[in-house]
Amino acid sequence: MSESKALRRDEPPAPSGGRALRINEDWAATIIGLVLLVLVLTGVIPVGVVP
Amino acid sequence: MSAGDAKAPQAAAAKTVPAGEAAASAEAGRSAQTPVGTLIGLLVVLALAAVTRVLDKNVPGWTEGTAFGEVAAAIEYPVYAIVLGLVGNAVLTATGLRDRLSGAFRTEFFIKTGLVLLGASINLAVIVTAAGPAIIQAIVLISAVFLFTWWLGGRFGLDARLRALLSSAVSICGVSAAIAAAGAVQAKREQLAYSASLVIVFALPSIFLLPWLASVLGLSPEVAGAWIGGNIDTTAAVTAAGAIVGEDALAVATIVKVTQNALMGVVAVALTAYFAFRVERRADARRPGLGDLWHRFPKFVLGFIAASIIATLYLGAVGSDAGKEVIGTVNDLRNLFLILAFVSIGLEFRVASLREAGWRPIGVFAIATVVNLALALLLASLLFSGFSVT
Repeated sequence: MSESKALRRDEPPAPSGGRALRINEDWAATIIGLVLLVLVLTGVIPVGVVP
Repeated sequence: MSAGDAKAPQAAAAKTVPAGEAAASAEAGRSAQTPVGTLIGLLVVLALAAVTRVLDKNVPGWTEGTAFGEVAAAIEYPVYAIVLGLVGNAVLTATGLRDRLSGAFRTEFFIKTGLVLLGASINLAVIVTAAGPAIIQAIVLISAVFLFTWWLGGRFGLDARLRALLSSAVSICGVSAAIAAAGAVQAKREQLAYSASLVIVFALPSIFLLPWLASVLGLSPEVAGAWIGGNIDTTAAVTAAGAIVGEDALAVATIVKVTQNALMGVVAVALTAYFAFRVERRADARRPGLGDLWHRFPKFVLGFIAASIIATLYLGAVGSDAGKEVIGTVNDLRNLFLILAFVSIGLEFRVASLREAGWRPIGVFAIATVVNLALALLLASLLFSGFSVT
């Protein structure tokens, strides 16, 4: 095993990339959830249409 | 589960195989995902969700009068969704398609969207009333379980970073907390993989075990919900177990779990400071500020509260009777997203995770889970015995 490969085991789990993805997912869930709520309350998604 | 979460178990291979091979394997898993594969994966998730709906609506009728009839009538939709997800997982793994389609198995995204919609079915007054006991329970539980797990990890001779990950995972909110702690303490990849694997392996049986125990112990829906929310690690599993018990238990379990989620940022920032100043004693370490707290704060909590405010104002304007049907449609949408999340729990589960974890982290996690179980039951009984959702 080369030294560079051995060091890979000790790498921390890419915090910046993972963090960015989590934040996007959090905001995406928030925005989609609230948009769906408003669409139902305003009648754009009518009662009984959700399977 | 976030993208980072979903990839965590793949990194577990770093413990048992040469590092270069593990990195190549993890890279291969990621590179196997294509837009077409993710689209097909989404169709698989939607198809299993549709089958869940069909089974939930029709199995009681199909089995009425048979020996299975009574059991079938008691089965709630999370059970069908998780079991179908596990079956789909086995089929996709056997056919070698699982990694290619896994980009669509987004448990965390589905559950967070479902929880934002769930906020609409909980009156703001209930959230405000429950916030006090929920915050007290979360602070006592997180502090006690975190410190106990930290101490126990030391007794078992675990590395300080792995102790931080396991303590965060078991005391706060599972994989998300382990990810946040991993970034805070600069943990190794395989340590994150250990923690993520353990959370999932322990959460799955808890979904079925805790509702059953709550029934055996004769807990009220509110106490059962607070117990489930305070004990089960992952938010998706809390929601599944709460839904099995019923609507009131689901509401309290969600409020308790969302409160714990909100405190995750505080623990992550405290860990960052502790490791920088006390463990590593870095000369360039800076004191964390409010920006760090906001950075770690799970933003869907804001959506959950906003949905409750919007729905409460809406019902106040149109009246409860007129708005009931409309909120019912929001609940249908919520259930749809929860089913997608529960199907994804089954699809993401890895049987090999437990073997990869090694016995010492498993021992620490198992003992900490039992302590969490007992302490959460005590706190839930003390803080929520007189609480009513209605």
